[in-house]
Amino acid sequence: MAGSAVRSRRGYYLYLIPGFVGLMLIVIGPQIANFVLSFTAWKGVGTPRWVGSQNYERLLTDDQFWGSMHNTLLYIISMTIIPVLLGLILASLLFDYVRDQFGERLSSFFRAGLYLPQILPLTVAGVLWGWILSPVGVANAILKSIGLGTFAQNWIGDATYALPAVSLVIVWIQVGYCLVVFMAGLSRIDPALYEAAQLDGAGWWQRLVSITVPMLAPEIFVVVLTTLIHALKVFAPIFVLTQGGPNDATLAPSYLTYYHFFTTQRVGYAAAIATVQMILTLGLALMFLWFQTRQAERGA
Amino acid sequence: MANVGVLTGTPAKVARPHARQRAPMRWVVLGLLLLLLAFTLFPFFLALINAVKPGPDYLRGGPLSIPTSIQFDSIIKFWGQADYSRKLLNSVIISASVSVLAVIISLFNAYALGIGRVRGSTIILAILLLGTMVPQESIVYPIYWMAKSVGLYDTQLAVIIVLAVLQSAFGTYLLSSVMSTFPREILEAAEIDGASRWQVLTLVVVPIMQPTLMVLGTFFFIWTWNEFLIPVIMLISNNNQTVSVAMGLTRGQNMSDPTLQAAAGLLGIAPTVIFFLIFQRTLTRGIVAGAVK
Amino acid sequence: MTTTLPRLALAAVSALTLMSSAALAQGTTFNIWWFEGAESAQGLTWTKALEELKANHPDVTVNFEQKTFDQMQQSGSMILNSAEAPDILEYNKGNATAGLVASQGLLTNLDEAFTAEGWDKILNEGQLVLSRYDELGVYGSGSIWGISTYGEYVSAYYNIDAFEKAGVKVPTTLEELTAAFDVFKAQGVTPLALGGASTSGQHLLASLAYTKADDNWVNNYQGLKAPLDGAPYLYAAQTLTDWLAKGYITKDSTGMNDDDAALQFTSGQSPVYVSGTWNLGNFSANIKDFKWGQFVIPTPKFSVGSTGNLWVIPKGSKSPELAREFISLLLSTKYQTEQANNGGVSFGADAAQVTNPVGANASAVFKQIADKQGLGFYPDWPVPGFYDVLNQKDTGLLQGTLTPEQFVDEIKTVYDDAQASQ
Repeated sequence: MAGSAVRSRRGYYLYLIPGFVGLMLIVIGPQIANFVLSFTAWKGVGTPRWVGSQNYERLLTDDQFWGSMHNTLLYIISMTIIPVLLGLILASLLFDYVRDQFGERLSSFFRAGLYLPQILPLTVAGVLWGWILSPVGVANAILKSIGLGTFAQNWIGDATYALPAVSLVIVWIQVGYCLVVFMAGLSRIDPALYEAAQLDGAGWWQRLVSITVPMLAPEIFVVVLTTLIHALKVFAPIFVLTQGGPNDATLAPSYLTYYHFFTTQRVGYAAAIATVQMILTLGLALMFLWFQTRQAERGA
Repeated sequence: MANVGVLTGTPAKVARPHARQRAPMRWVVLGLLLLLLAFTLFPFFLALINAVKPGPDYLRGGPLSIPTSIQFDSIIKFWGQADYSRKLLNSVIISASVSVLAVIISLFNAYALGIGRVRGSTIILAILLLGTMVPQESIVYPIYWMAKSVGLYDTQLAVIIVLAVLQSAFGTYLLSSVMSTFPREILEAAEIDGASRWQVLTLVVVPIMQPTLMVLGTFFFIWTWNEFLIPVIMLISNNNQTVSVAMGLTRGQNMSDPTLQAAAGLLGIAPTVIFFLIFQRTLTRGIVAGAVK
Repeated sequence: MTTTLPRLALAAVSALTLMSSAALAQGTTFNIWWFEGAESAQGLTWTKALEELKANHPDVTVNFEQKTFDQMQQSGSMILNSAEAPDILEYNKGNATAGLVASQGLLTNLDEAFTAEGWDKILNEGQLVLSRYDELGVYGSGSIWGISTYGEYVSAYYNIDAFEKAGVKVPTTLEELTAAFDVFKAQGVTPLALGGASTSGQHLLASLAYTKADDNWVNNYQGLKAPLDGAPYLYAAQTLTDWLAKGYITKDSTGMNDDDAALQFTSGQSPVYVSGTWNLGNFSANIKDFKWGQFVIPTPKFSVGSTGNLWVIPKGSKSPELAREFISLLLSTKYQTEQANNGGVSFGADAAQVTNPVGANASAVFKQIADKQGLGFYPDWPVPGFYDVLNQKDTGLLQGTLTPEQFVDEIKTVYDDAQASQ
């Protein structure tokens, strides 16, 4: 048996071929090209001019770049941490409470409703949230009409509130993704576990901490890693809501890359930023995967 | 231990007799959830009322005002201007093709990594994951250049290939995480029966994983539908373009038309919402339905 | 599942092949693109002119495609650098767009057509500044690579009813303008609507800077000829902070884009809004509650404004003659008049035939500015990406996180960097 397993392993490599060919053509090749471009000055047409490490030197002293890196840390909170926590609580609430109390249909209904923002194209989401968050917009109008006018703010125009406001929109988008993956995962957990816990008098919160979270470990890993990666390249919500403003308060590296690729046409410089971004993401993902593998081995 | 009942993906539906208690608490929880739902869906409501609002109404009262009359002019106007029927067809073709192609690529990769457990799986997985990590802007110029040199510039095929590869990275990661917990007993039993690797994949793994594959396909379809940058760069002719690119029509150089934007938004989301409502039942079945603990 | 997957794939592939074979067309075709909105003065006029072109050449299949601004902005140079470019298209004016592709040899030179087609009788040298690009792609000199057929400028839109009710007359100096603001302010009205986070914010700033600008300054500024002389911008920034302190502008404007600001004006909440002629169509069609007009911000000479986007003929155009014929149509008195009647800013309309007061007035104002060589262009032109810089710093200024001095320092850093490395 052991011998046949080793022999058969090799054959599996065949199945990696389509994926690998695609990856070489679409991801690796272009990334190498991008890396080479990062040592040039180029406007998108014509011949690139070799400038050595000039783009990277410039990067070191670019306040916009460092500001955007700093903001990235904050975007991790709204892209990953809050949605994952909220998603876990909601999933467990819908699965382990609402479903029992009110039935399967209502629980599915909530899940579908909370997932809908994921479906909305971000350009549309940007317009709609722009209406809501504008100082003369819907949010302030509602606050004023219920007598809370003093809480009305210049949400996306004031540096103090702009980042939290953009983060709110991001959370709004992200929660549905976490929720759906978690709820799907919950359906494979043996209901007997919950029943036993209930008989032992464990409350909803205790069941969440002692059963749901440990059992959902694989899903939590997947969701955390994918949302982390997305946090490092967050672009569309910023592009459609604030364009990085006011006064660069909501700038993210991807927006800066986009800006230099297509607006200032400093393609080489943009490529340098993208390369740094890529290396950071790759490092983070590798660390994470290593950790995940170790956890899985320990659990097995 | 393998739990066959879970393997088939049937959701746990065991009634718990002790559950129905503490009546006031349930209504508090329900109320909070309803509030959250209302908040979540509020932007959709805005899109709806502004899409049917007459232009002068908007200029007078802004987005929150209740329309004095209902008009479908904006929706009809956007439909005509954008040649929406054509765009709809294009988006369906591209999204469906990407979804199918990406699921197949992910399945093959995950089969080798998760079930085959080939040497260096973690490294290979990390490399494959690159697809989800690249900022799309950074591959635009090289991909444009490649597509042009092989005559695929301005073809839907180019977009399908690019997006399928990029999205299969996520699919590979997800499926291989799930497949690594696939019950070995079943695989060994199939092997003893003399099933080839291909037969194990198509006759054993795929049927068990079907709910997960459907969920993945649904994700891919929706993600592709909303893709903007790659389609806008690679598809030049209006006849090839997608719904999400056409939505840019409502924004000019220095101004936009808000009610037209709302109409475009409504037409932009309607197909995916319908698609989602049809497929959302599969989401219940579970993305990790094949997994066993 | 085992059978559905391949079946789906097959369906997708066959659908694809069907589409590509249907795309093959026969005979002489003329491909034309533009991205002006279908209901803008330009869009309406160009559609009509294209009808005439079709009628004149029944043997030619005319393919028009409505493009989007985003699309041309992001992939314009890639398209022009490929075999998929059309026979003629509307393209953005300026160094970063038309200038870049002209310098890369992707456009057809129009020097010969300019005289041969008689365009020289309609357009004066002032209207050609943005048509000419040198070998480096810098506008103002060199050959003609594109032709604009309309103008645009920034002015103050005002609510005539509100002005009459408050007993305020149309201001002709900056002092009269602030005096008018004071009257409204005293009534508890925020007089000036401003989109601090988008175009109208920086256009107001530039309009104020132009009150202190002479020929020399504008030429240097727009031509990147010297490090930035910050004095006019300092004045503009100080004035803006002053207006903010006095409540002529709301502090909330940092969170408003042009749509929000325009809404303040169209809903009657603010009686003045400074923005460009691109609003004319929207305002004429949709403002029903009050009478409105426009006045030019009082400056010694320069106003924010320019000739419009360019018609360019790609190098690979298969029907350059038809493309030239189309430009000639658009420049003809007939279509210039048509354009003014659609509410647009025309160069060569027959004033007697223009019945639309909005278009007639706008064309007249534009002529007035252009005749005194007063087109100061847009503040973001000299440096690619300056549009975003000005928006960011403008919001910083309005928010109070930047003092006027810091504001000038920060834009000067970016400007001088570009100036030194050009």
